[in-house]
Amino acid sequence: MGKAILKVVVGLVVAAGLWFGAMAMEFPPVFQLTFVTFAVIGTLVFLMLDAPQINAPSGWAAFVSVIGFYIVLCFGYGATASLWPQFETGDEQEKIAKILEGKENPLDPWNADEVIKRIKELDEKGQMLSERIKALGGDQPLAATVAVVASAPKAGGSEGSGDVMKIGEEQWQLQECYNCHKIRGEGGKKRGPELDNIGSLLTVEEIKEKIFDPKSFMAEGFEKEWEKGRMPDKFKDVMSDAEGMALATWLSTFKNTAVATPKPIKKK
Amino acid sequence: MRHYMNIPPRNLTAFVVFLALCVAGVSGVYAQMPGVPATEFPYTGNRTAVWIVAQLHTLFGAFILGAPIFVVMAEWLGFRKQDPRYDRMAKEVTKITVILFSMTALTGGLFIFVLLATYPQFTTWFINQFYLVFAVIYPLLFILGTIVLYAYFYTWDAWKGERKGRHIALGVLLNLLCMVAMFAINGPTSFMNTPVRAEGISPMEALAAASLWDKIANTSWMPLNLHRIDGNVAFGGFVVGMIAAYMYMGAKNAEERAYYDWMGFVGNLIAVGAMLLQPFTGLLLAYEMCDYDFSFCPYMMADQLSMFFEMQGAIIGVMFLGCNYYVWLSLRRIGGIENVRMTVLAPIVMVLSPVVMVYVFTEYWIPEPMSLAFLVPFVLSPFIFGRFIPVTVSVQTVMKIGFLMVVVSAALWVIPNGFAATGAKMAEDVQLPEAWEVLGKMPTKLGAIFSLVFVTVVNYVLYGRAIKGGTIVWGKIDGIAPFLLIFLSFTSIWAMGLMGAVRSLLRKFFHTYNLIPDFTAESFTPTLSYSAWLITGITVVFFIIVSVAVFLALRSVELKGREPEGIPVPAGTK
Repeated sequence: MGKAILKVVVGLVVAAGLWFGAMAMEFPPVFQLTFVTFAVIGTLVFLMLDAPQINAPSGWAAFVSVIGFYIVLCFGYGATASLWPQFETGDEQEKIAKILEGKENPLDPWNADEVIKRIKELDEKGQMLSERIKALGGDQPLAATVAVVASAPKAGGSEGSGDVMKIGEEQWQLQECYNCHKIRGEGGKKRGPELDNIGSLLTVEEIKEKIFDPKSFMAEGFEKEWEKGRMPDKFKDVMSDAEGMALATWLSTFKNTAVATPKPIKKK
Repeated sequence: MRHYMNIPPRNLTAFVVFLALCVAGVSGVYAQMPGVPATEFPYTGNRTAVWIVAQLHTLFGAFILGAPIFVVMAEWLGFRKQDPRYDRMAKEVTKITVILFSMTALTGGLFIFVLLATYPQFTTWFINQFYLVFAVIYPLLFILGTIVLYAYFYTWDAWKGERKGRHIALGVLLNLLCMVAMFAINGPTSFMNTPVRAEGISPMEALAAASLWDKIANTSWMPLNLHRIDGNVAFGGFVVGMIAAYMYMGAKNAEERAYYDWMGFVGNLIAVGAMLLQPFTGLLLAYEMCDYDFSFCPYMMADQLSMFFEMQGAIIGVMFLGCNYYVWLSLRRIGGIENVRMTVLAPIVMVLSPVVMVYVFTEYWIPEPMSLAFLVPFVLSPFIFGRFIPVTVSVQTVMKIGFLMVVVSAALWVIPNGFAATGAKMAEDVQLPEAWEVLGKMPTKLGAIFSLVFVTVVNYVLYGRAIKGGTIVWGKIDGIAPFLLIFLSFTSIWAMGLMGAVRSLLRKFFHTYNLIPDFTAESFTPTLSYSAWLITGITVVFFIIVSVAVFLALRSVELKGREPEGIPVPAGTK
């Protein structure tokens, strides 16, 4: 008994040390709580090491104990998993719906309903395009913009260039570029270069080339990542040409020279 | 009497029916009318229905692939050591395997039907891609495996003595067939994650140009094969431990208790041996998949699936605690362990291991050979240099330090970069401080798992020395031990379900990654909570069926009174 009390005391001291130590090192409270949980688990383990020996149950007592044990395990695992932060499925459902909207089902390319729906959509877009061409005039960047608007999904409503920006930013979110690249201080874990100044270093066409063919440019300081092909070579397959152009156009507007976006080196 | 002539016709008939169902299912694909709408599965939805059947089939499949490896090893050991316990154990496990073979065929047939009903277009396309595998190779291997399994079981008593070698060879053949069947079906499975592709052309063009072999031997095929082989052995061992736990508690006399105590020990030993390899083959699989498409990596570790890995870390941590605690309880029934001691270097290396390993992996990320150049001498030092250092410590001291390091290593593995389900939207108040970001990085996780493996290996080496140097009193293990064996079995199956879900979910919103999108409303990543409750339910169903199989195969024999069987006869006996 004395040994057990000593272990509990040591466990409490360790838990307190972890709590206050973590606090002093500016760990958020949720981490402090986690560290204390580890101390509690450690204490329980050491208490179990010196627990007195017991005999295994037999007969009905064994049956009931085993069933009870399974119930504890089931609820233990289910509840523990439910304690972790849960992914918001609605966000992803929305994203998937946007990505797949208008995409052809390779298993059913001649679905008549889908073809009729697409023809109607294209017809509407064509009409919108004619109106916008009249409104926008004919300089180079805007010509690219018009081409994008013409074929990009959900391009209705506001002014053309605004739409391109919207589509470009949407593609950034849908393709989850933020998982590897930081922009405006958000996203990225140094897996890929920060892109806040990419507009000063590459043209729209070059950015699009890099997105569709990741080996075409290599960011300085990311030689290893480039060699290993860290940037997935799949965007030409999952984005339309117009969507890629929209993303490149949106990225080209980032010209914050205060951010050290690494210099891209042409490789192909 | 020729025992192998006594195959109950009902068993073979059942198999023929199940296999006919499977083949009929495949052929039925061609009877599908184009554009036939998918069935809406009530209550669960289509994806969950497929998930349940697929996972049950995988669990039964894992057992019938893992158990024969375990069984043949046990039979061979029994023959070599002339220890009848091994032979008895091998035969008992084979009896259960025979029952579960039927369940594998049944759930396999059901799996095809559910797939055809719920995803008719995709299933038709998929079977077309691998028609030779689904309609010829896999059923043929399954039929051959079934015949060999029955022959193996029913020749057990006939082929003993000098014929034992022939029987063991039959067991090896069974394993080879099972292994090839698994390799064959892993082709389509892994293809869904990493389909064949080629630079400069679209995925569909690459697929059109690919041969069947190209599709099977895709990037993740061999890593998946390796991961599943040692996973199945561990799984088989843990289930044997669970069977032993049931039978230990139900034993009617000291002799039976001693036998089932021993069986639990052997099952656990083989399971832990295989489990220690699991993190490495798992890592290889993840590595190859990330190499195929790097977006898998953040999806797993920093985005939608990141909390699945937190749960996995917690589960693996308690499994390591559990198997080390089993050793601790086992040591209590060994007389004379006070004479077993170990060099002081062992606990010193144990304490240093997390820090050293994290440092080495931070500096030299695997597979850089420099990491091995540092770590191999480090982990071997207690065994190589220990004999030159006169200071030794007791078994209990080494193990207590080991437990401390298991808790520390498990904690290092579990500490996340932040408590958020998606890394991209992480608030500062749930994130590691910048100075401590290292705790959430992969080298730390890798260092932690290497430490867990190292500590467990040292504990099992000590265990081996204690067994050799002391006297084991079989049948006297602590009453907690059977529950520990049940816990390890349940947890390993649960972990298998969780990681299987992760592998499958990595396809994101595709049926076949980047090739065939899933246009249904269920193509999103489910929450960890939903997945965990579902996996728990599937594990429970699996356990109920296995428990019934154990009861039917073993307890009925116990109730009738055991006939002496499976006693190895020395070579040369007529």
